[in-house]
Amino acid sequence: MPNKAGNLYGLTTLCPLLNSSVHNDTFSPVIRLRELLEQYNIVADSSPMRLVPNTYLARFFILDDVIFQSFPYQEEHLKSKYLVFTVNFHGELEQYLEGMYNAIPTDIASIWRDAVGFNVKDAQSFTTYIKKCQVETTFLFNGSTDMSLADQLKSLYIKQEFSDFVFKNQGVEPSVLLQEFKKFIQMTNPTESFPTWKAGVSDLNDIIQYK
Amino acid sequence: MENRIDYHDIQANLMVNYTDFGYLKARYLMIAITNGDKGRAFVSDMQKFITHTPNPHTNIAVQLPKVTTNIAFTYNGLKKLGLPVLTLQSFPDEFIIGMRGRRTILGFDEESAAEHWDEVFNKEIHILLTIDAKTVEALENHYQEIYSIIQKNDGIHLLDGFNNGQGQTTSYQDASALYENGYPTSKEHFGYTDGISNPFFKGMTEEMGNVLGGGKKIAYGDPRSESNWAALETGEFILGYKDEALEYPVAPMPPLLSKNGTFMTFSKFHENVESFNQYLDHAVDKYKLDKEILAAKFVGRWRNGAPITTFPNKEDADKVATQRQQALAAMATAQTTEELLVAKKHFNEINKDFIAFDYDKDVAGGNCPVGAHTRRSNPRGSLEFGNQGAFDTPGALDNRRRIIRRGLPYGTSTPPYNNKGNHGTIIITLTASIKRQFEFVFQQWINYGNDFKLANDKDPLVGNHVRNNGRMVLQGDSSKGEPPHFLCDIPRFIESRGGEYFFLPSITAINMIAQGLVDPT
Repeated sequence: MPNKAGNLYGLTTLCPLLNSSVHNDTFSPVIRLRELLEQYNIVADSSPMRLVPNTYLARFFILDDVIFQSFPYQEEHLKSKYLVFTVNFHGELEQYLEGMYNAIPTDIASIWRDAVGFNVKDAQSFTTYIKKCQVETTFLFNGSTDMSLADQLKSLYIKQEFSDFVFKNQGVEPSVLLQEFKKFIQMTNPTESFPTWKAGVSDLNDIIQYK
Repeated sequence: MENRIDYHDIQANLMVNYTDFGYLKARYLMIAITNGDKGRAFVSDMQKFITHTPNPHTNIAVQLPKVTTNIAFTYNGLKKLGLPVLTLQSFPDEFIIGMRGRRTILGFDEESAAEHWDEVFNKEIHILLTIDAKTVEALENHYQEIYSIIQKNDGIHLLDGFNNGQGQTTSYQDASALYENGYPTSKEHFGYTDGISNPFFKGMTEEMGNVLGGGKKIAYGDPRSESNWAALETGEFILGYKDEALEYPVAPMPPLLSKNGTFMTFSKFHENVESFNQYLDHAVDKYKLDKEILAAKFVGRWRNGAPITTFPNKEDADKVATQRQQALAAMATAQTTEELLVAKKHFNEINKDFIAFDYDKDVAGGNCPVGAHTRRSNPRGSLEFGNQGAFDTPGALDNRRRIIRRGLPYGTSTPPYNNKGNHGTIIITLTASIKRQFEFVFQQWINYGNDFKLANDKDPLVGNHVRNNGRMVLQGDSSKGEPPHFLCDIPRFIESRGGEYFFLPSITAINMIAQGLVDPT
């Protein structure tokens, strides 16, 4: 299976978009979708994908057309523009898509509202739809271990807190150090799920999720 | 698969000639930005007003708003608005330098030099807003709406410095069709019917233009036959589409910023109506020519717009021009959409006489001089000079020099005519390349004669003649044994009052600029 590396799954989908003629040419669905996607860039940490369990990394973009390589090549064009949705996650495809639908059904409806043949009512029909649009290929992003997202975020959190601990306590008496370390363990709770690093957060402010 | 045009993503002034649809009043605002964030906020405030191209498959006229608004940016403007350095560096040099820096190439010297420009064009301009309306009231109301937004934003301001002709300056430039006996005309101050021909490119519909005369010459034969013309490639006028070289035009990065946008030039040209009339009178005396024939020979069209190459006789020209005028009036007075469509169809048929022509039967220039203004600026495949088959197609040498023209006259000029005052034409051009199209035509075809085998002769009407040194050859009709006439001592009739180069972005790109989302990586 070229889409998988260990527990990492690389999903690539090409979802054809309706053109403006379906709206009597009164507006362009592509412009509308692009503006929606751009909002995820403008408003910090607003991507709905942060709420989807086990998402390592997700990208949305619009494929306008294929590039004409100039003479003497033949000029070719796509019949539609495509929403490209690509995501790397931990686990199995069906389980992930089900989790995605259950986490963000409204966002899914907004993002795919102008996609051809998108008639999704529940997690099952969403999974069926996405699998129809799936391109079987190996588009895997670097930078993830094989662990579940929760484990990765917890590790990240502990690493961050531990570096703070080291800076704060260097050179203190061993007895004090031991006390401080016990406090550190109590605070970070390494064997429990929380506190942990918030999913989808891109800067160092407000990174901790307590429950 | 044919390349579809993203109509909704293209600003309407690029695909639609507003004046064809009765928008005969315009106001142009130049804006400077002092604060990038507030500049972007202003662009964002303008987004809701920007007019995009209507659905071309149903009646355009009914879809256009009462007042249209379009926006364009200079290089310095895009810099102020915070575009990344890599993107700024990807713009073409001539756009970065701007019209002021490129004025020598355009021949803007002597009376056209920058010290004679309206003050505003010697300032750093960042944004151009163009408003086009059917009535003065609609124009004024919309202006007030935009003005109040500008007033509330302390990071931008309207630039003052347009001469208004009464020794004062204003913070906008008005333009309007000229009126005769209360009726609007399509004439400019010299009395010529203007703006008849515009290029026709792939993606345009019949309502937007005409392949006859507007397209490119692909074969010899009857110029009234559609099989001898083809639509120009879209990429000559809109970035992101294939051009006549069968490649994408050079465009700034990223592609999403440039696609569906184009480059725009804005120029204010003063017209020396007094000199022009004096010269005609002088030439009539000296060469014993009919004044109206001489006027027609200058331009290649009679003042009523009929092309002199097909209508060498004034009576025939007047007859067809009257018919065209009546057809135009029928369009203007149509009460319903159906009536308008019928009238428009009738007009298109008559208008063929005005647009569907070439110079194949007039190679030597016996009817229309080779150096006439319209023959120079749009040679219609005549640069083979009768040497058929010299190039792939008759139009091969001029297909890449075509220019979309917009704009309206400004000011008034009434008898007794006089060179002073504030009257002329606002010329707006739209091309994928300012350098290859707009600048080339000015440098090589308007202010030089080599491509027409006319040595140093310049365009008689628009050329930058220095100290009355302009010359023009009126080739005689050799079949009638007519000798040629050599006109000399032509003064400069047109003077630049300034202008600037702009980038006219797509709807998508305007949003990217407003939101600070332009990413060249």
